[in-house]
Amino acid sequence: MTTEPKAPAPSDRAVSDRIAEEIERTIRRNVKGLEYLASPAPSVGSTPKDVIYKRGTLNLYHYRPLVDEVYRVPILIVMATTNRGYILDLAPGQSFVEFLLESGYDVYLIDWSPPSIEEKRLRLEDYTLDFIPECVRIVRKDSRVKDVSVIGYCMGGVLSLMYAASHPKSQPKNLICFTTPVDFSNMHLFTKWADRRFFDVDTLVDTMGNVPSEMIFGSFDLLRPASRIAGQMQLWDSMWNDEHVKSYRMFERWSTDTLPLAGEYFRDTVKELFWKNALVTDSLILGGKAASLRSITAPVLHAVAQHDHIVPYDAAKALIQLIGSQDKEEVVLKGGHVSVVAGANAQKRLWPRLDSWLAPRSV
Amino acid sequence: MIAQWEKGINTLANTTMNSDEFSSTANGSMNLALRAQQAMGAAMATYLATLNLPSRADVTAISDRLQSIEATMLRVADALEARQPVAGKGARRVTKIVKPRRTKRPPGEAAPQ
Repeated sequence: MTTEPKAPAPSDRAVSDRIAEEIERTIRRNVKGLEYLASPAPSVGSTPKDVIYKRGTLNLYHYRPLVDEVYRVPILIVMATTNRGYILDLAPGQSFVEFLLESGYDVYLIDWSPPSIEEKRLRLEDYTLDFIPECVRIVRKDSRVKDVSVIGYCMGGVLSLMYAASHPKSQPKNLICFTTPVDFSNMHLFTKWADRRFFDVDTLVDTMGNVPSEMIFGSFDLLRPASRIAGQMQLWDSMWNDEHVKSYRMFERWSTDTLPLAGEYFRDTVKELFWKNALVTDSLILGGKAASLRSITAPVLHAVAQHDHIVPYDAAKALIQLIGSQDKEEVVLKGGHVSVVAGANAQKRLWPRLDSWLAPRSV
Repeated sequence: MIAQWEKGINTLANTTMNSDEFSSTANGSMNLALRAQQAMGAAMATYLATLNLPSRADVTAISDRLQSIEATMLRVADALEARQPVAGKGARRVTKIVKPRRTKRPPGEAAPQ
């Protein structure tokens, strides 16, 4: 007597499907793992551009337009001095710069190269009273438009604020800051590590000249010491997923590609911002003149990230209260320090939010 | 599970590092290493000078100067190229980028008449 084999119960089928899926993923993970080791890193920063000005550590790019008609006011993006600008131009379809170009903006970007040994002498005022104003002049000349909107990311935002604060009579048309710290007493671990009782910044700068990129990378990495290993474990687990792997490689490449900092600029940053908290105490002097955030009158948008481990919200929130602008707004967005400006999260949150704020102010 | 482990380790490490003791110890070690490096650097510079050899600082300074001269030459070459008319066989093709019109209005807003 034969009996019909019992059809597996739905839960059994679910289990067998799951096992089959897991086996398939394991095979793909191993194949993709080999591909991963053999393949070159994905290319980044590929939106066509021209280097229209270069002076030592400073590079000014002009991105080629992607549309026939743009807003009247061009944008100048000021990148953070610790990292490369390609985080804002990761890959086609995932590029903030490309998004801006396609939305009808004329885009210029200040990107930094590693400072040479000679450039260890560069100070905060070289960046804020020379580099940025010079680039604004070039953008004005190149675009034949007097107004320029400035966007600063992280320390690029701090430098943009200092530039605007020290040029009360020639304000940017609009000023946008992404995850920009102003209250350096609330930078959590960075504040603790830079404690003037223990941190001898003079010996560091006098010995090293420029602050090495390894040190900058190490201090960022130490904020979340388990995250790099966890990321690698996550990568292996998701090796079957091409999109995840590509995204991981681009972000990983960027986060390890830190720049050295000019020695005197670092010394100024520690003494003026961490020790004196000069932006909040309104005691910043640049080139012999007071640079008060209250002097900023341009329309300001400050975008901060809810889960930012580098610039905590407590360090960023004071900006809107401190500036003199009437037209000012803070937006708190889901995401971290990087994911708020780049990647899928930024694409659906920050970028459209910025566009809707900036477009009516760019005509 | 990985996320939980990561969060746990990060929180623990952050608590440990957010203390005067950690800051004092880490900065103390760094200061010691820097002072040792300073002393070593000064001694090496003296030895190398005695042997009539350049130090690392001398070599990197020369390299920096060379890079700076190279950058200046490139700027001069670019400026000269920009002044030359593009003609004849072998001349580099220069693509003239057409500047877009600066008349765009925000979506939903009518263009001024």
